[in-house]
Amino acid sequence: MIMMLPFLTAFIGIVLAMKGKRASAIGVWVITIVIMLGWMSYHMTGTLNISL
Amino acid sequence: MFSQLTHATPVEHRLSYSLNLLALLGISFSLLIAFFYQIAFHELPCPLCQLQRLGLILVGMGFMMNAQFGPSTIHYAMAIIGALAGAGTSLRQVLLHIAPGDTGYGSPFLGLHFYTWGFISFVMVIAFTSIMLCVDHKHFSTPRLQRLGWIAVLIISLFLILSLANTVSSVMVCKLGPCPDDPVQYFLPF
Repeated sequence: MIMMLPFLTAFIGIVLAMKGKRASAIGVWVITIVIMLGWMSYHMTGTLNISL
Repeated sequence: MFSQLTHATPVEHRLSYSLNLLALLGISFSLLIAFFYQIAFHELPCPLCQLQRLGLILVGMGFMMNAQFGPSTIHYAMAIIGALAGAGTSLRQVLLHIAPGDTGYGSPFLGLHFYTWGFISFVMVIAFTSIMLCVDHKHFSTPRLQRLGWIAVLIISLFLILSLANTVSSVMVCKLGPCPDDPVQYFLPF
């Protein structure tokens, strides 16, 4: 698990978009959101100390 | 980096182009404020804070691509999905600190903590994107590279630099692994 990975993929996606490679940029954006969901699962699934 | 833009078509949808750039500037401004607090007040980003920053970047990519290639439902979907992920993360952090007596994480900004501002921002992004989908609904066509003005190049470059800065910052705070829940110092020298 590497926290910098989604930031790196997002950065690559922005560079690809700037170079005019739209499809590749969207693909990298999808990879980034999947990694983000993984991190959300890692950091956000503990028990909250409140009654919901 | 912008070399291919010399062959691009002129911007056809001026209002959409301007509003998307304005939204991208707002996203960049939010990331700048977060960095200002990180550097000036040594408030290191927690894991959920980093995920909210990532959500902002994902939203910004949607707005940026609207300016770069013309408005598209896919670009707006990118902004909405990024905002939903960011809103979920910020709401989780609000709930972590909602109990009476909890002073929250980090210092407040204009009376609210950054994760609360984050939630408000992501909801505003969803509302803005919904309105833009109505404004642009007659303009959706095959995305083509647009000829960008110098202001657009400036805003997109700022967004790119902030994205890179967040990548570097995440390495400095977390090294090449998961982030500590309550970071107090950089693992790498600043």
